Amino acid sequence: MLPDIKSVLTFAAFRPDADDPEISWNTRFEGTKTLLLNVSRSHVSWRSYNRRGKLDASGTSEGDLAEVTSQNAEEWRSLSDGGWCAVSLNNRFIISLESNIMRADNCSQLLRTNPRSVLGPKYDRGKRYAIYHHPDSPASMLLACEDSMVKVTEDVLRGAGLKPGRVCCGLFAMMEHALISIYSSQRGQPVPSLVLIAACEGSVAALAQQDGQWRDLRCRSGLGPEGIETALQIISPLVAKAPPGTPVFFVSDGQDQRFRKDLMDQLERVGARDLTQDDLLWKVIGSH
Amino acid sequence: MSKNFLCHDFKSPRTDISRRLPGTMKIVPILFYGVLAMSAYFGIRDITDLKSADAERLASVAKKTEIEAAKTKLDLERIQIETEQFRGEGLAKWVEGTRSLQPATVAIARSVPPEVSINELFFERSADLPAQVSLTLRMTNGGPSDLAKIEDTLRRLRYRSHSPQQQRQGELVEYHSMLVWQDQ
Repeated sequence: MLPDIKSVLTFAAFRPDADDPEISWNTRFEGTKTLLLNVSRSHVSWRSYNRRGKLDASGTSEGDLAEVTSQNAEEWRSLSDGGWCAVSLNNRFIISLESNIMRADNCSQLLRTNPRSVLGPKYDRGKRYAIYHHPDSPASMLLACEDSMVKVTEDVLRGAGLKPGRVCCGLFAMMEHALISIYSSQRGQPVPSLVLIAACEGSVAALAQQDGQWRDLRCRSGLGPEGIETALQIISPLVAKAPPGTPVFFVSDGQDQRFRKDLMDQLERVGARDLTQDDLLWKVIGSH
Repeated sequence: MSKNFLCHDFKSPRTDISRRLPGTMKIVPILFYGVLAMSAYFGIRDITDLKSADAERLASVAKKTEIEAAKTKLDLERIQIETEQFRGEGLAKWVEGTRSLQPATVAIARSVPPEVSINELFFERSADLPAQVSLTLRMTNGGPSDLAKIEDTLRRLRYRSHSPQQQRQGELVEYHSMLVWQDQ
């Protein structure tokens, strides 16, 4: 009773819970420092938001999450008020195209608490899911991430005194963000065709849309810096199949500038438009 | 950046997440702090008022004491004036009361010859019987003829003498009489 009264009198009861996934990150942590982590297969990169809501310290470290966490836990705790962090997982996930998946207002909440009710027989108990629906067709992009990967990540971070307030897939979030930007820039007019290519720290995904319908989606996670050839093998068929004049969009982020440059060099031949902004990954997972 | 974009989240769900209260309920803590501030304001104002009222009360008590002292002084002066007035009025009454006896006094003084000297002459009038005046006269070298002249003179002034008495001790003659004023 007393804590409830205290939370009302300090206005804490009107602020969103730090762990509430229905509220954007910057709303939940307004005026506080937070840590953003991007966990790849062989390295971890991080940035922090300061109390003024500006991106601040950054760093990267080679090794798996447990190893890097043990080395940097103290620094990470100092970059976050209360140890809250947002984590982008960059390997052991798959993005696929699905159709006729339930679209309810509470769909994203159900997907966290009772994914079977949303996915039906497509549900696999060893996966965690996120979804993005096409605005004008019954198609949906479905992200499936290894449940064990999420649990291990959460356990490692909790063991280091950090609180994961968000666990997401940076590549999928960048694709969602890019698609919303592209669709909203058309001011309600359906987009007939496009190819969207997203790359994040060695993971790559390509989505092709023709005649207003999502036709194909290919994804590979955890390719690493040497995976440029593999990435091109994934992307090339989609770009080749696209009718001439189809706009090609490219978004990417990551520490490996060479991977990005090599990819963009190939894509420039088909007139790809680079939608990449500075610190895009961090802004996508740390502001929305 | 798209404002309606909310990043997905597939962290292990918590069941004890408390939903935030609706914004309209902020009126509760706002009212609480408002009432607290108003209470503090009125409390401080009341204490300030109490202090100033206390100071005013002390000033009023001092002023009252001063006024009472002035009033006491004025009362003493008034009593003194009233005493003086009473005395003055007594004197005026006495003067007024003796005015009717002045012709009798003058007449007695003129009726005796120069060789007779009047030592004492008393008129006493009773407050109960103002028409009656007790006359006492002491004179030297006087005789019954002088007393008869005095009685004649008083009779002409409409005073009738009742039970006159005279005593002689050598050259001193003492005369008592009750004079009654004859209105007709």
